[in-house]
Amino acid sequence: SAWNSRVPGEHGPSPWLCILADSREMCSGPEVLSCLRAVHGLRVQVCSLGTSDYIVSNRLAVDRMLQSELQSPGNRNRVSQRLQRLQGIFERICRTQYYDGVLSALVQAGVRILFSSCQEETAALLKDLALLEHRKDAAIQVPTEPEGHQRDVLNFYLSIPNLSYGAALNLCHSFGSITAVANSSVPALAAGARLSPPQAEELHRFLRHDFDLELLPQPLPAKRKS
Amino acid sequence: MTTKANFPVTAGSIVVPYGHVIGNEKWRGSELAQRLQGKVRLIFEDALGLVDFHLSNRTCILLISEADLVAGDEFKRRLVRFRNASSLRGIVIVEKTQISDQYYLGVQKLVVLELGMVLLPMANQGEASQLIIQLVREQSRDRGAGPFLGKRRAQPAEAAVLQAVQRIPGVGKTKALLLLQRFGSIHRLCNAAIHELEQAVGQTVAQQIYTFLHS
Repeated sequence: SAWNSRVPGEHGPSPWLCILADSREMCSGPEVLSCLRAVHGLRVQVCSLGTSDYIVSNRLAVDRMLQSELQSPGNRNRVSQRLQRLQGIFERICRTQYYDGVLSALVQAGVRILFSSCQEETAALLKDLALLEHRKDAAIQVPTEPEGHQRDVLNFYLSIPNLSYGAALNLCHSFGSITAVANSSVPALAAGARLSPPQAEELHRFLRHDFDLELLPQPLPAKRKS
Repeated sequence: MTTKANFPVTAGSIVVPYGHVIGNEKWRGSELAQRLQGKVRLIFEDALGLVDFHLSNRTCILLISEADLVAGDEFKRRLVRFRNASSLRGIVIVEKTQISDQYYLGVQKLVVLELGMVLLPMANQGEASQLIIQLVREQSRDRGAGPFLGKRRAQPAEAAVLQAVQRIPGVGKTKALLLLQRFGSIHRLCNAAIHELEQAVGQTVAQQIYTFLHS
């Protein structure tokens, strides 16, 4: 189409672009992953993202959903949970009043919705998103496969509430140690992890949170099986 | 309508009474308008310019028909003009049919990725009317009451802090609790001297923790 030619790097490999894919996508979206690699030449790092299907930049997560997931009102809670913090990509479209309701609610919630009719198109959209984020200087630009001690440190960061996989990678890369992170100011955390000021504030607060045993949720007693 | 003269000619914000939709005069008598009648209170105005329907003071609809898509680039200029001229939230509804399907990905790229607007594909005016009715209903909810908004409750950080400390190699739940009761926070645990750690968990594990947190 007419717009394609205006985007730099549209055709041919873009090896500087990196997308993180959740390991579940190897089963549910294999065509997406292979297209991203083979057709678009992107670096795709499969890891256990948990909260979203893809991360295309330091600030943008993508969920890929099928029409069937949106058809049934019984799925509404699950959809709601998945989408609370995420952007969405839907493959294929169907028509019910329920569906109109979901669409308008997503629009109201500020979730960006992209439609595609197959996994190849989804891959092209993911590449476009990654490219756009790259132009806005938000691309993932740190190593995505830490090893040994760095892997353990990454797992430590990943246990922090509301910290994205990308931010955890940035912490690994930008700070020499967990202690360096813990002793950093809010602006230093924001710069190093590529977080917004409120997110950095939340991380800072978490690291200094004064643990109170009384506030620890107690497991229900006397329900031991095994 | 006497207030008409006060409305900006193109893309500007207008006052939309609660539960109403203000439609561009050009849609009067259309199938879309007929389907909206009775479901929402529809008023027509002839000075809406680029906008087809105003759903609220902030949100409006721009429709792109199959004919617009086939006719060429004029609709792109219209969208870009709207985006440059207006601070309103524009929802673009595009008529996606077998004929116009080939243009959809390009339109999506322009509208969603380049212009940052919302794009929703509809097969015909009937579907578009259903969606507009739902959008009006959604608009009239209180802000923050949508099913996908603001459900996250603040939870005490205790469980998460305990989880994080247990990610330190060699530290299980018992040692994590010991460390947290002694040092209070991850920040203070990081800044503890090695002999303080030893008093809590013994020499070997203390060394392990210290190395983990400092390298």
